[in-house]
Amino acid sequence: MQGQLALLERELWEHRSIYVVPIVVAIIMTLAALTGQVSINGMEHVDIGIVGASNMPDNARAAVLSGIMIGLSTTFVFSMWILTIFYALDSLYAERKDRSILFWRSMPSTDLETVLSKLLTAMLVIPLVTFAMILVTHLAVLLFASVWVAARGGSGLTLIWGSVPFFDNWTATLIFVLALPLWLSPFIGWFLFISAFTKRSPFLTAFLPIAILPMLENMLFDTAVFAEAFFVRSIKMPLFINPGTMERLFEEGDGFALLADAQLSLLGLMDLSGFLTNPGLWLGLIVCGLFTAAAIYVRRYRDDS
Amino acid sequence: MTSLVSARNVSKNYGDLRAVDDVSFDIEKGCIMGLIGPNGAGKTTLLKALLGLTDCQGSLSVLGLDPFRQRKELMQNICFIADVAILPRWIRVYQLLDFVEAVHNHFSRKKAEALLAHTKIPAKAKVRELSKGMVTQLHLSIITAIDAKLLILDEPTLGLDIIFRKDFYSHLLEDYFDEERTIIITTHQVEEIENLLTNIMFINNGRIVLDASMDALPEQYVELLASGENADRARKLNPIFERDVFGKKVLTFEGISREQLTGLGELRTPDIADLFVAKVKGVTA
Repeated sequence: MQGQLALLERELWEHRSIYVVPIVVAIIMTLAALTGQVSINGMEHVDIGIVGASNMPDNARAAVLSGIMIGLSTTFVFSMWILTIFYALDSLYAERKDRSILFWRSMPSTDLETVLSKLLTAMLVIPLVTFAMILVTHLAVLLFASVWVAARGGSGLTLIWGSVPFFDNWTATLIFVLALPLWLSPFIGWFLFISAFTKRSPFLTAFLPIAILPMLENMLFDTAVFAEAFFVRSIKMPLFINPGTMERLFEEGDGFALLADAQLSLLGLMDLSGFLTNPGLWLGLIVCGLFTAAAIYVRRYRDDS
Repeated sequence: MTSLVSARNVSKNYGDLRAVDDVSFDIEKGCIMGLIGPNGAGKTTLLKALLGLTDCQGSLSVLGLDPFRQRKELMQNICFIADVAILPRWIRVYQLLDFVEAVHNHFSRKKAEALLAHTKIPAKAKVRELSKGMVTQLHLSIITAIDAKLLILDEPTLGLDIIFRKDFYSHLLEDYFDEERTIIITTHQVEEIENLLTNIMFINNGRIVLDASMDALPEQYVELLASGENADRARKLNPIFERDVFGKKVLTFEGISREQLTGLGELRTPDIADLFVAKVKGVTA
């Protein structure tokens, strides 16, 4: 256990981007919010000050605030996935490139423990660090909004802090940042394997097959099994109930008039048990497990001399 | 004495290349074994097998463990320094101590810090900021602070200047070595370690060509410095190797007593480098 913690700590030392990237995103997003640049889907450049308008119904205010928070979170999740790709591709490649693998393997930790520490970092540590920075950014932006409201004579405490559905928003965000790497785990497993396997350029080696396989399949068999597998995996995460968030908030049309009974419950949009029982999720985890096992095997048996 | 390392018919192939070819040997506790061979002789492969970094055929036991299958247990009791470049360059000195402390049961942080206090290595420095010599000092300090039974050194002083090399070996003897500990070392700079070895093993083309204790060498091997007729007479005793030095012949004999050679010229015990050349070249010639 202590050994596993030390291995995880090592990942944070070696890959400082795990926390530097979310911190940078947090700073950029907070600055963007301060200058009124935060926009949410369907509402261009909403000045977060409008939520201080006292004639706005409570449910609408809660929905708009939660919407702003979702907008912020989405940016973090996007950067998290990019970070995860680069991390996973580098994790077992860098130590071979700088030959420090000889040092790590002279320590009493098994290849299984080491590779697992990297999988855990991608699946758990990166999402949790990202989640923590999402919370900090939310609080900073809301603090700014409440100061803005207070400066105009409103009560920031009740209008802003009182109406934000914190529990709903944060619980849903936590579920989402943890569920995303689970859903995308076959890619993570693939990246780890390539990172352990390739002699050069892990990025190209990992992405060429993803690009070429669907094309080859299309040319040779005129089918699209791979294309669909990659596409569905990337886009259609079975965690959300359709229709999407925004359709529940706004009336049809060009403007962004809020529905009178707009309720924005993120948890209400999620089907966690449906996600956890989705065969696609488990199939993906099995693929991830196989690639991870292959990465362990390569690290253990390959002799580069 | 009990065997710390025991190898029986160990072989290792890389494709068609037989890197280690059916070798058998024992290494006893408390000895300093020099493993010497030309490039590509199979030294590193043999060390890798001992460290459990590569699988091999035959039976190999290190500290009573199968190195490849019980690497984690084995690494609690083995330390390893390859040439200077294997410490991760991004790590800070104190992080390295943190890590080793967490994974190694036999590591004394106090001892490592005391040893580092005698060097110019700052605790917050990154390895990439240290000179080659300092990196080796750092690695040696960490390893000295691990109460391991076996230390394996693969060209530990490659690329270091003479001061650091001398320093390295004197620290190795003073701080690390005692009768409970065993060292296996490979190096091309044989002359520098000749005096600290208790045993030597020569390896060539994957095979062991010599495995002896240093004490036994003078009885087994003798060098004769002779010229002219004396050299011709000596040649009849089947020297294993012959070379020219300043117009004289130097003949190396194995298993010939000094009495048989008296009167033919100057006799001496070959130093390891010469003996190595004699054994390796003599066999292939």
